[in-house]
Amino acid sequence: MSWEHFIYFAIASVLLWAVGAWAAWRNRSAIAYSATILGLLVFFAFILMMWISLERPPLRTMGETRLWYSFFLPLAGLIVYSRWKYKWILSFSTILALVFICVNLFKPEIHDKTLMPALQSPWFAPHVIVYMFAYAVLGAATVMAIYLLFIKKSGVAAEEFDITDNLVYVGLAFLTIGMLFGALWAKEAWGHYWSWDPKETWAAITWLAYLIYVHYRQLPRHRERLALWILIGSFVLLQMCWWGINYLPSTQGSSVHTYNISD
Amino acid sequence: MWTKPWNMKEGFLIGGGLIIAGLALELSVGPIIWEAFAWPANGMVLAGFLLMIAMMFLLRKKVYAFQFVGTYQAAIPAMVYAVVLTIIMGLIRQKVGGTWLNDMLSFWPFVLIYVYITAILGVIILRRVTHLSSWKRDLPFLLNHLGLFIALSTATLGNADMQRVKMICGVDEPEWRAMTTDGRIIEMPIAIELKKFIMETYDDGSPKRFASEIQVVTKTFKYIETTVDVNKPYEVDGWKIYQYGYDTQMGAQSQISIFELVSDPWLPWVYAGIYMMLAGAVCMFAIGGRKRT
Repeated sequence: MSWEHFIYFAIASVLLWAVGAWAAWRNRSAIAYSATILGLLVFFAFILMMWISLERPPLRTMGETRLWYSFFLPLAGLIVYSRWKYKWILSFSTILALVFICVNLFKPEIHDKTLMPALQSPWFAPHVIVYMFAYAVLGAATVMAIYLLFIKKSGVAAEEFDITDNLVYVGLAFLTIGMLFGALWAKEAWGHYWSWDPKETWAAITWLAYLIYVHYRQLPRHRERLALWILIGSFVLLQMCWWGINYLPSTQGSSVHTYNISD
Repeated sequence: MWTKPWNMKEGFLIGGGLIIAGLALELSVGPIIWEAFAWPANGMVLAGFLLMIAMMFLLRKKVYAFQFVGTYQAAIPAMVYAVVLTIIMGLIRQKVGGTWLNDMLSFWPFVLIYVYITAILGVIILRRVTHLSSWKRDLPFLLNHLGLFIALSTATLGNADMQRVKMICGVDEPEWRAMTTDGRIIEMPIAIELKKFIMETYDDGSPKRFASEIQVVTKTFKYIETTVDVNKPYEVDGWKIYQYGYDTQMGAQSQISIFELVSDPWLPWVYAGIYMMLAGAVCMFAIGGRKRT
């Protein structure tokens, strides 16, 4: 089993996930569940066979990381769907998974890309995958906030606010897990679980910002529009944490997290 | 203002008062010297802090401010101050031994706001524990809040007891001595003898793996042969041994290996907090947001 066979498994999985997404829109949840689960099984079969043929878990290269991301996205989408029956969530997760599958298909050279020793850890994939999922879900919450603030403008229904809140809770849960996985990994890699590295500082800022939203929404007689603005502000801070710090003068040369800066 | 019940405005004023008090402390006694909190000082501070929280909780009916501390109207402004101060920290280059905004971790207003948040956590945890209603509501709440409380308080106070030293080992030479972060040479309870330094590179010459085959002898008469890789430290007698560096001039032929040895006696407490928060996050995902009633 090698990357040459990936395309067949990928096409089969994406088709099954697309059928699941379509069935969710049509309220045929039995088909939605079974197609999505079948797609996940096909995709996981490829991961498993890669695992066996590589004689190590496929977690080392960026291409392998994306493999897991493409697997976890529809899985998380399915869990959210089973909880809250949002018709659109399976379409959202399928499209995101497709993006990462396409990167793996059309940029095959990255499969063998070298990985520096500090990144060669079993924590690498879960830390990144969980964060990517959190970013995706919080992105969806931000889209909701923008829709409610600028397009719908008045008469926000309680259900619409519930969707936003639930997305934030899921996103915040994954943000917390990603951050704490990072702390546990940092202890193994660098000797300390929290060093106030710029990436960690901005991760703490982002986390606190979403905590403010969650608590403000619990406050009796709060202003709903202000809550939505907090959500948009939090997502701006998240961008800062994700890629913005690469351009901050205060972090140049002082962060182990700044990507793609060759030396 | 200051008419009961207090609102967010009062919450912001209390936080602002703490910032002013912090600035006064910064001006009068200078930045916080965290080294002063080494054991047993940190144990006593923690005991005093817990006692203070218990007193605030018990006197909440008598002193309105103590009751107010356990409300959203107190917690939200405290978090807003924390976000603003941490953003400043993220925008300004930090350096150890810097002053004011250049060394936020020793800057009194920053520390006081975080202590205030921790105290708020303590009070609301006590209130929840004494008013349990349903496990589905209370368990995630306690895992998240108590986990954060334990992690924040023990990580901060325990930091002074953490020891990080570097040991430079040559091939076949047992080494007992190590260098502290402030440049002192100390004798360790562990000796390391480098047997072989391993370096593998990718085809393009970039490092793939570096590791050391070592023999470890301890004062507790343990004798261990092991390999220490980047990301795979070896733990013995409360010390974690990390592969830190090598002779970069020599590369794969390096005859020395540099190890970092870390001891953190408070780590189990911090990890307890972290694992509680992880469990709390899983609950948050499984149970989701609040339900409309």
